[in-house]
Amino acid sequence: MAKYVCPICGYVYDEAAGRPEDGIAPGTPWQALSEDWVCPLCGAPKSVFEGQSKPEVKSTPASGVMEPQEEPLRELSVGELAALCTNLAKGCEKQYRAEEAELFMQLAAYYEKRIPKGEARDFTQLLTLIDQELNNEYPAAKEAATANRDRGSLRALVWGEKVSRILTSLLGKFDKQGDALLNGTNIYVCEICGFVYVGNEPPEICPVCKVPNLKISMIAKEAV
Amino acid sequence: MYAVRNIRLCTKDCLCLYVCPTGATDTETGQIDRSKCISGCRLCVDACPSHAISLVPESYPPQQEKKQTVLAAMRKRSASKSAQEQAFALLEQTAPNEPARRLAKAMRCSCRLMAEDLLRESGYMLPQSENVQTLLKSELENIKDNDFPRDAAKRLLELLKQ
Repeated sequence: MAKYVCPICGYVYDEAAGRPEDGIAPGTPWQALSEDWVCPLCGAPKSVFEGQSKPEVKSTPASGVMEPQEEPLRELSVGELAALCTNLAKGCEKQYRAEEAELFMQLAAYYEKRIPKGEARDFTQLLTLIDQELNNEYPAAKEAATANRDRGSLRALVWGEKVSRILTSLLGKFDKQGDALLNGTNIYVCEICGFVYVGNEPPEICPVCKVPNLKISMIAKEAV
Repeated sequence: MYAVRNIRLCTKDCLCLYVCPTGATDTETGQIDRSKCISGCRLCVDACPSHAISLVPESYPPQQEKKQTVLAAMRKRSASKSAQEQAFALLEQTAPNEPARRLAKAMRCSCRLMAEDLLRESGYMLPQSENVQTLLKSELENIKDNDFPRDAAKRLLELLKQ
């Protein structure tokens, strides 16, 4: 009997144990679970689960082996400057510096107004875009962080990768089900890492960053 | 190190009021009066049964140095998350049905949070850091736009000086 692990939240499906609370009897093999079965903790699709015996992804070559050409740092975009300032405002709030937080919000508002209108994309195009990012750019960035032993950057990249994977999984479902995905249910966003959850109640703790759910907020329905 | 109270955790047991030698904890807003707080005293921190009071440092050490290659990789991701945020923002305005707009809004927020986190880890974690001050100075110097909140940026430079 094998075990399968959710790469987003770490939930383990154990064939021997099944999941009786969801009507899955002990001894139910992985293959017998329907294709639209999702992770009971975080909603990740069955397709992203990994066999537990699977060896760890080959670790990165030691630093120096792939010392890439030093790229000059690109200037921050206006959108990034806005995000930087809202984040610094949060940093000030945590230090109970209300005046500084308010000043950073003024700067953020300035940048926010000047973000150039980007290219319009539909949900399916965004799904493709994020999917490509997951296949190529995230692994490369994680490799750079690992090679340089930059744990902080690696942490941000791992969370971002997990959350992005959840976004693609929801966009994939939305592609098939359309508005039915959200009819009669709620959608939540974790204020810390950006994890998105569709369901009636938010999970107890965020499956990605493990913050308690007082930091997971519901996106309100528009008033009719 | 001066004391701050997390209102969300405070259960109004008032032990901080009993132990504070200066009356700094007794305020109407629930915030501890920093001008009366004795740096490093921590009597209220230890007395509080709901662990709602902690000490905040006056100054911080220099931030961890980041390698250029990692920064370049992080910046690409933050730029891309920011662009995705804008695309979802557009969908939030234009999608024909409420559920789709709600989905776009959730994803817009999510992308913003990821961009914030990536930027934070790209050398902008601490508001008092050298990097933040350098950025503020350079924006003050380079942005000629009259709408730029110059006073806010200048005041921040004053307040964040360590």
